[in-house]
Amino acid sequence: MKRYLALAVALIMVVTIFAGCGSTKAPDKAAESKSETTAAKTDAKKEITIAFLFQDLETEFWVAGHKAITETLKAKGIKVIERNANEDANKQLEQAKDVIAQKVDGIIIIPQDGESAVAISKVCNEAGVPIGVFNRPPSNKDAKSLVVVANNEKIAEQAVGYMAEEAKKLNKKMKPLIMVGDLGDPNAVGRKKGFYNVIEKNPDLFEKPIEVPTKWDAPTALANLKSAMQANPNVDFIFTSSDFLYPQIKSVLEPMGKWKKIGEPGHVMLAGLDGDSTAGRLMDEGYVDATGVQDLYYEAQALLDAMLDAISKGDKTPNQWIDDPGFALTQANMKDRRLDMWGNKLRKDKGEIK
Amino acid sequence: MSKTAIKFKLAILKNTPFILFVCIFIIFGILSPKFFQYENFENIATSASYIGIVTVGMTFVLLTAGIDLSVGSNMFLSASIAGLLIRDLNAPIWLALLCAVLVGTLYGGINAFFIVKLRILPFLVTLSTLVAGRGLGLLITKSQGVTLPESISNWGAVRVVGLPVPIIIYAVIALIAHLFLKFFPMGRQIYAIGNDPEAAKKAGLNTDRSIAFVYIISGLLAAIAGIVSVSQMGIVNAGFGDGDEFDAIAAAVLGGTSLFGGIGTIFPGAVIGTILIQMVQAGLVYTQVDMYIQPLIQAAVIFVAVFLDSIRSREISKIEKRHIRVEN
Repeated sequence: MKRYLALAVALIMVVTIFAGCGSTKAPDKAAESKSETTAAKTDAKKEITIAFLFQDLETEFWVAGHKAITETLKAKGIKVIERNANEDANKQLEQAKDVIAQKVDGIIIIPQDGESAVAISKVCNEAGVPIGVFNRPPSNKDAKSLVVVANNEKIAEQAVGYMAEEAKKLNKKMKPLIMVGDLGDPNAVGRKKGFYNVIEKNPDLFEKPIEVPTKWDAPTALANLKSAMQANPNVDFIFTSSDFLYPQIKSVLEPMGKWKKIGEPGHVMLAGLDGDSTAGRLMDEGYVDATGVQDLYYEAQALLDAMLDAISKGDKTPNQWIDDPGFALTQANMKDRRLDMWGNKLRKDKGEIK
Repeated sequence: MSKTAIKFKLAILKNTPFILFVCIFIIFGILSPKFFQYENFENIATSASYIGIVTVGMTFVLLTAGIDLSVGSNMFLSASIAGLLIRDLNAPIWLALLCAVLVGTLYGGINAFFIVKLRILPFLVTLSTLVAGRGLGLLITKSQGVTLPESISNWGAVRVVGLPVPIIIYAVIALIAHLFLKFFPMGRQIYAIGNDPEAAKKAGLNTDRSIAFVYIISGLLAAIAGIVSVSQMGIVNAGFGDGDEFDAIAAAVLGGTSLFGGIGTIFPGAVIGTILIQMVQAGLVYTQVDMYIQPLIQAAVIFVAVFLDSIRSREISKIEKRHIRVEN
């Protein structure tokens, strides 16, 4: 009896896990029931249906990415079938096969990783369904696909370039520190490269930078930044490879008396990359000087335009790489570009800002 | 070999983890003199405190030859609940923290129920609750970071008797756990179960109660660790606690705890293991070693420590056997 009870409970646990994971992703529910975001028609003859397969909604960035794509699709009046893979690459592949069987006109994916992007693209190529890959590039070019991806190197260059301009005004050589992401992630490597491009161009402005590994992990970043600041208390410019690390930067600088607003004596110049809501708030409050922004709305629009173009031309295997040059939101252009940053758009939706 | 030489060799072998710890500390200090500053040591201990608390709970579990993979998710869920209670329901801080601790303990209790009552393998149970706990945490937070009030984030920097609060909490927990395992009947029973569960049962020990106890303790300590971590970072984001279970297992094993149960200590074992990992990480930042080389050095230190530990255990048992013969 006990054995049967154990089996039953184990089964319930497994079901709960999958249900639990699925239930975290609100859009997935709608997706499973083949929710139609809208059923308007772009073409009088044929309604276009696009499947949107995303890896998960675990971070604010992916929530914003999901929002950017669904809003763009809505605006174009396209019927959407959504699927959430819950971070399972195999599940996403099965979902792709499933929507191909439903004869969708195109597929947009946020893949789990570069490898699964290639695998899913190959399946789409064989089926003759155009595929667009959003923000996470395929690991190789074995399959044909529309790829839109942020140029992390350029975006980092823009943000750090602004800092170099500000540093010139201070008329002193600065000690920079870079919080580096996981070196297995091409985004982290691109951001590091962009940072160094500017630093190396301005040897008269910057000393040799201090490198702090974060592995994209907040406690690791906190511990390593504390160590780095103790070893190098003269650091006066911090570049974080991701905006999500600002709370850790504050935790380290505040007890040292270095968490100061721009213009206050002892201000440590701060720049980051991503464009999340924390960076938006800290820029409003005057702590952060600049942040490089991945232009998610540009990416969504560009990908969809390319996709619709391929569908209208009957191109079943479009192959194009679209670069998002992003932009730097700085204290100098805040007035004009504040609401172009996806983090600030999320804040606006929540009613935090106007 | 003379008795003095045997005693000296035994002392060296028994303190190998500590000697390795001191050697690494000195090497980093020579490479970067600022590493010897008191502030650095305090920083290492503060940064290690939350993972150290998880490691204490993990050591209890490992001593019974079990494993708890759910501690990271437990930290995330309990800290998220505390944060949401404060942010959305304006709950008093003490009540929110109490709720977090209760949630963590309940989490451990659920693990214990499945393991003890339904006889499901700890690995499977805690792997399931790892996924379920994170899913539940994401559901209630909607994947958004939960920022805690400054009264909590400032609390991580508060000092009592000259030491940061996270260190004090860690020290108190490690001390209680050490004394418990060494002097309390239940502590001795945990070792006995890990050594041979069948023999422990035949000896009349209530093995189910002890096993349930270690998972509940692990859950409780994971929740406390979550609070300690939040007190330093001020925010609970979607990745909070992710992978911390592996850091805790590594620290416990590095401190001499056997994955097969029955062997291990809180002090010096788990404490040295935790601080050693943190110290190596800090030392690599101080000395600005190339970031591509850093993981190799960290892996080498862990390998050397575990390798020395295995040699040490063999040598100690050999010497002690010989020693018994001499005495006879």
